[in-house]
Amino acid sequence: MAKAGRPAATDDGVRRPWGAILAFLLPALTVYMALTAYPAFRTLWNSFHVVLPRRETFVGLDNFVELAQDDIFWHAVRNTFVWAAASPLIEVTIATLLALALYAKVPGARFFRVAWFTPVLMSYVVVGILWMWIYNYDWGPINATLRALGLDGLARPWLGDPDTALPALILVTSWMWVGFNMVVMLAALHSLPREVIEAAELDNCGWGGKLVFIILPLVRPTLLNLVVLSFIGKMKIFDLVWITTKGNPLWSTETVSTYVYKRAFEWSTFDLGYPSTIAIVWFVIVMIAVLALTRAFRVRDKLEY
Amino acid sequence: MRVATQSIVMAILCAYTMFAAGPFVWAAMLSLRTTSEIHLDHFALPDPMHWDKYPDAWFNSNYSIYFMNSLQVVVGAVILVTLIGAMAAHCLARYRFRLNRIIYFVLFSTIIFPPQVTIISLFQILVGYGLYNSKLGLMLVYVAIQLPLTVYILESFFARIPADLFDAARMDGYSDWAIFWRVALPVAMPAVTTTVILNFILLWNEFLFAVVLITDEANRTLPLGIQRFIGDTQEDIGMIATGLMIAIIPVIVVYAFFSEKLIQGMTAGAVK
Repeated sequence: MAKAGRPAATDDGVRRPWGAILAFLLPALTVYMALTAYPAFRTLWNSFHVVLPRRETFVGLDNFVELAQDDIFWHAVRNTFVWAAASPLIEVTIATLLALALYAKVPGARFFRVAWFTPVLMSYVVVGILWMWIYNYDWGPINATLRALGLDGLARPWLGDPDTALPALILVTSWMWVGFNMVVMLAALHSLPREVIEAAELDNCGWGGKLVFIILPLVRPTLLNLVVLSFIGKMKIFDLVWITTKGNPLWSTETVSTYVYKRAFEWSTFDLGYPSTIAIVWFVIVMIAVLALTRAFRVRDKLEY
Repeated sequence: MRVATQSIVMAILCAYTMFAAGPFVWAAMLSLRTTSEIHLDHFALPDPMHWDKYPDAWFNSNYSIYFMNSLQVVVGAVILVTLIGAMAAHCLARYRFRLNRIIYFVLFSTIIFPPQVTIISLFQILVGYGLYNSKLGLMLVYVAIQLPLTVYILESFFARIPADLFDAARMDGYSDWAIFWRVALPVAMPAVTTTVILNFILLWNEFLFAVVLITDEANRTLPLGIQRFIGDTQEDIGMIATGLMIAIIPVIVVYAFFSEKLIQGMTAGAVK
């Protein structure tokens, strides 16, 4: 990390070749302006309008008022937040335990690392289909196992039952992302200063003590990053739901992303204004949530040191 | 006692490995069996192995079209985003000027944007320019969505290249462009490879933008094709499994050759 900081290239007052700077930045800025910044502002503009093909009418805050009373939207918000709250906890906890096992140099660590990482490489489309089979009522391996154990009563259509559909999908995302989190944690563990851990060993600090008092506080920045990354990822979740349940049954797996998609392109309302309003409101909610999350971790840092 | 703990830990790790890898092993087995065989026993080993299902899926269900579409869109987008992103990253890392950090921050903060913020208007914009439902349109959008991450990873690498190298090149009479093209880029090759592989896999799997921006059968990318394929074949599990494996194989090949690079790319920035 401390190898070489930012180059002290410009011992200030030195060259600022504006021509070259502009030429280097222009392609990226053009793409950014045309396909990210402009669309974002257009979405904001849309949110105050009813946007029909060839006709756009200004409606002020009507869309926002409607959204506030839209039960399906709030249902989707609740589902998405449940997902975004549960996933980081599950993923980061399991990943940390697995990473510690590999850090302690269990036999076959290299193989484990590669095997665990694999699920994250698959598209949600592939993963979604696979897990629809795994959850299949008649012949899916989960129900097959339950029946083989004589627990027929527990077998159920996991994705068709409003009570189990959302937890079942949360399990799928955890299955996908634990390996990723584990690899990051492992990298963080390997970058810890050896002397500190050895010093703790000299002080007769046990495994548990080492973990709680030394390792976890040292990797806290990485933990925070992983929690935030996982959180953001789940706030965006669309593909998996779209492939497996489309938000069914009874809105129990509806997420904000799938609802925006339905309102914009599935329901024959043809209005792009209202879904834009959802997107804008959601964007604000996500930003606030991410800031709050980062804050919460920082405050605790201050209290401890 | 110690041995007991160790074997418990190993048992847990092996169980987790089965959980993590099991679904693929199962899918690979299904892909080599016919649907009628599968209905007799869903968990039997493939015997005999029906390798002919692969050419069958490839030729009889437009898979070759989907695959080539994905290849064109993704390779095109990866080349463009790497070039454009590297230029911008080099510029932000090398030259100090007003706005530098602002541009960097604006680009970087886009990483947390929910895609809905742009997707509805991108639909409108592409329709407006006649790029809706075209591979070119989707490719440009892919460049835009991967640009922030690419610049972010490359900038941090370019910033660590010692300035002496550039000063020496300048004294040798290199132009600003030659310094980028013939000094910075070759030195940064490891980081560039990382972003190339990472972008390739992320875009190969991309679904949301594709489903919104492409409707024509002839322009579908692989994820859309698979979705279409399940719709068409319904209960033909054996064939769908073959289709899934065809989509997975390129990714597995890339992963087999570049697993270290890929892991580096995906973990870049998460470790601090």
